[in-house]
Amino acid sequence: MAAVQETIDQVRQIDVDQYKYGFETEIEVDKAPKGLSEDIIRFISAKKEEPEWMLEWRLEAYRRWLTLEEPSWARVHYPKIDFNDLYYYAAPKGTTGPKSIDEVDPEILKVYEKLGIPLREQEILAGVQKSKIAVDAVFDSVSVVTTFKEELKKAGVIFMSISEAIREHPDLVRKYLGSVVPTTDNFYATLNSAVFTDGSFVFVPKGVRCPMELSTYFRINEKNTGQFERTLIIAEEGAYVSYLEGCTAPQRDENQLHAAVVELVALDEAEIKYSTVQNWYPGDKEGKGGIYNFVTKRGDCRGKNSKISWTQVETGSAITWKYPSCILRGDGSRGEFYSIAVSNGHQQIDSGTKMIHLGKNTSSRIISKGIAAGFSENTYRGQVSTHRKAENARNFTQCDSLLIGDKCGAHTVPYIEARNSSAHFEHEATTSKISEDQLFYCLQRGIPEEAAIALIVNGFVREVIQELPMEFAVEAQKLINISLEGSVG
Amino acid sequence: MNIQTTNRLTVAEAALVEAYNEQLSDLPGDGAVFAARDRLLDDLKTGGLPTRRIETWHYTDLKSLLRNVPARDRRAVAEATAPLVAGSEVLVVRQGVADLRSNVDAFEIRRYAESLIDGSAAAGLTALDFDDAIGRINGSFVRDGFVLDIPADAELKAPIELQVSHGAGQVHTRFPVNFGAGSKATVIERHRAVSENAAFVSTISDIALHDGAEITWIIFQSQGEFDTHLGQIRVNLGKDAKLRLFVINAGGKLVRQEIQISVTGEGADLTLRGINLLGGDTHTDVTLNLGHNVPHTTSTEIVRNVVFDRAKGVFQGMIRVAPDAQKTDARMACNTLLMTDDGEFAVKPELEIFADDVQCGHGATVADIDDNHLYYLMARGIPESKARAMLVNAFVDEIVEELEDEALVEALEDVIATWLEKHA
Repeated sequence: MAAVQETIDQVRQIDVDQYKYGFETEIEVDKAPKGLSEDIIRFISAKKEEPEWMLEWRLEAYRRWLTLEEPSWARVHYPKIDFNDLYYYAAPKGTTGPKSIDEVDPEILKVYEKLGIPLREQEILAGVQKSKIAVDAVFDSVSVVTTFKEELKKAGVIFMSISEAIREHPDLVRKYLGSVVPTTDNFYATLNSAVFTDGSFVFVPKGVRCPMELSTYFRINEKNTGQFERTLIIAEEGAYVSYLEGCTAPQRDENQLHAAVVELVALDEAEIKYSTVQNWYPGDKEGKGGIYNFVTKRGDCRGKNSKISWTQVETGSAITWKYPSCILRGDGSRGEFYSIAVSNGHQQIDSGTKMIHLGKNTSSRIISKGIAAGFSENTYRGQVSTHRKAENARNFTQCDSLLIGDKCGAHTVPYIEARNSSAHFEHEATTSKISEDQLFYCLQRGIPEEAAIALIVNGFVREVIQELPMEFAVEAQKLINISLEGSVG
Repeated sequence: MNIQTTNRLTVAEAALVEAYNEQLSDLPGDGAVFAARDRLLDDLKTGGLPTRRIETWHYTDLKSLLRNVPARDRRAVAEATAPLVAGSEVLVVRQGVADLRSNVDAFEIRRYAESLIDGSAAAGLTALDFDDAIGRINGSFVRDGFVLDIPADAELKAPIELQVSHGAGQVHTRFPVNFGAGSKATVIERHRAVSENAAFVSTISDIALHDGAEITWIIFQSQGEFDTHLGQIRVNLGKDAKLRLFVINAGGKLVRQEIQISVTGEGADLTLRGINLLGGDTHTDVTLNLGHNVPHTTSTEIVRNVVFDRAKGVFQGMIRVAPDAQKTDARMACNTLLMTDDGEFAVKPELEIFADDVQCGHGATVADIDDNHLYYLMARGIPESKARAMLVNAFVDEIVEELEDEALVEALEDVIATWLEKHA
């Protein structure tokens, strides 16, 4: 019996410690008063020194938001959010647009150091990191620093925070902002349009292949603060960009709201690869605390033969509500969605994708792997549809779910809509538990059960991991192992 | 989900309310039955017909699709026809009235109207949940049908044909059927139109398979091109019971066929096969809601759809596995041949799984006829139209052949061939 008790203790220990990014940092902040009103939006807009049209855009979204109802169709349950009990703006003091990294509060730099995000260009060059990645670091409501800006500028790539972009490239922002996810899109996207505080802006001009990986790192630090970031990526004709997004938050007892909007625009022959490792605080083992993650991500393959690919590894958040989509407007365009969603504890995930085939000869591919453990609920919800005029649309969808333990749930809800006889849609889904044969095979060779499960799970998600950029793949693999720790026993 | 406060009645909803008031005086039933009817109609009135915002009606927005409801036509007549399979025990419902001429020896039978009058039907007049529009409509208006009780261990050689014919107006029928333990039988539930006049039809078969019963149940719907058909089959599968359920839709203007199955006995098995032949300007929705509620149960579902003209088709297949239903094995496939650019098909195969030691899967495909197959036949001198017809036929015939019973297979093949000749 002693041995059993030991295992239980071990598991318990792991369970408490499993979220290693849960630390909190004391930083002096500028906050807007609590609550949401037109005044708060004016305050945010003024803080950002935005032009008049931007403020109007926000206010229009806000007025519309007031008429909308919170969606309830997703398979997630949470107490009603009081949108007036949140801070909509929190910025570390004195960081409204630091000119260089030396002006950034050292406390913040320490945070990113602790998270393992390289912000100092020289360090990166000194060989600490093997390949170069440009980083935009967003701390609560503001972008604190963007690295390699100069080098990227030489290549013609614009990479900066969206607030800066609104000031420096208003025409570009005005042309594309809201053109993929309009302010009228849905409850959370509309809210985001009204109050978004920062995010990244990427513009890759015609024919340019972005010379390095771009990355944004989001951190929610303040209490009771919603994070509403807005990311806009534009790849002009023939351009290519690979973009990574990471996120963490401190461990807190109360829930925090994160409602982001990401818009991608790919023109003729352009390609955008968007990878996310989402590791917001998932709450403790009783289901207390954690981030509510309500995100609208959409890519518009506007040009012919353009391509957008979403890869996501979802391990964090108490609630995830997220459907990165592709609108395949250009003839011959291609959309891809690769996803791993791991839920443990009391997490609830309702995630998937939409592939909307509008152009001719468009194709899409969906690979989704859901892993549910503990008391979690893991839902895949995806839509594949063709327009009547979209000849030769092709889709292949595979969504597999793995259940670990008998207290969790795995659900699959695909919507497949064909309106053209030349459409060719294939969808397959499976749900099962880890095969006893495989487990036995590992155990018999002396691999402990938890390691064996991790091994099998890693095999299960391999197809998606392969799609991630190298640096992320390693992190993702580790994350999945951490998330599942404590799920056996 | 529904907003209960103020539902402004649509034309169809108002027609239903009016029809109820008009029929109130001669609807059969005792006090309990009328209490149930009133409640169901009241829910219909306040909740309204389902819209696409109701998840289970996502692709069939009944509120906007159902434009009007014809009034009850007291003068309409509907003559019976020869059974699908010669030698069947035919039980006829004509224009909503069960015609019970003589008793059958092999099992017990009575008119459903009688059980409404004596009140024994009251308990069954329920909606399955708040979105069960068919349960509400049928429960409010049902007049007749048959109540069958197949005794334990009975083996019925000849199929039973429940032949429901209608001419016009409204027809609401119900068939509670009890299959005793170890019984074996084949039932053909057939809904047919005898005229071009629009009919509004609702029907519910409420069947229970007791331990070890082995039943084949066929629903064959071939209504007229202006008809609305709201059908539902409620099934309870007991221990080791085996049900083969075939659903064939080959008619109707607006069709919703719901299959509500609850597997409550260990070792039970369901085989569901569906064929939807869709043409013209029609809308056909087959919705399955299958609950594996106990351990060690199995099911397979295959649905094949052929879409011509401007037809719209829907298949929703929900498989739920309850928390303790370990060792469930459930597999579902839905294949669609979309023959025209104006046709539409939407598939939503859902899995909702709360047990870990299970094997569940679903697959769905939508495509036109494979060019290679077509080429193969045409290279052998078969003209394109004929080659297409052959391939479509093969696509659905594969399912029919699984029935094994030769007379039945032949009868259904005839039905399919006739339909394809008319539409392809």
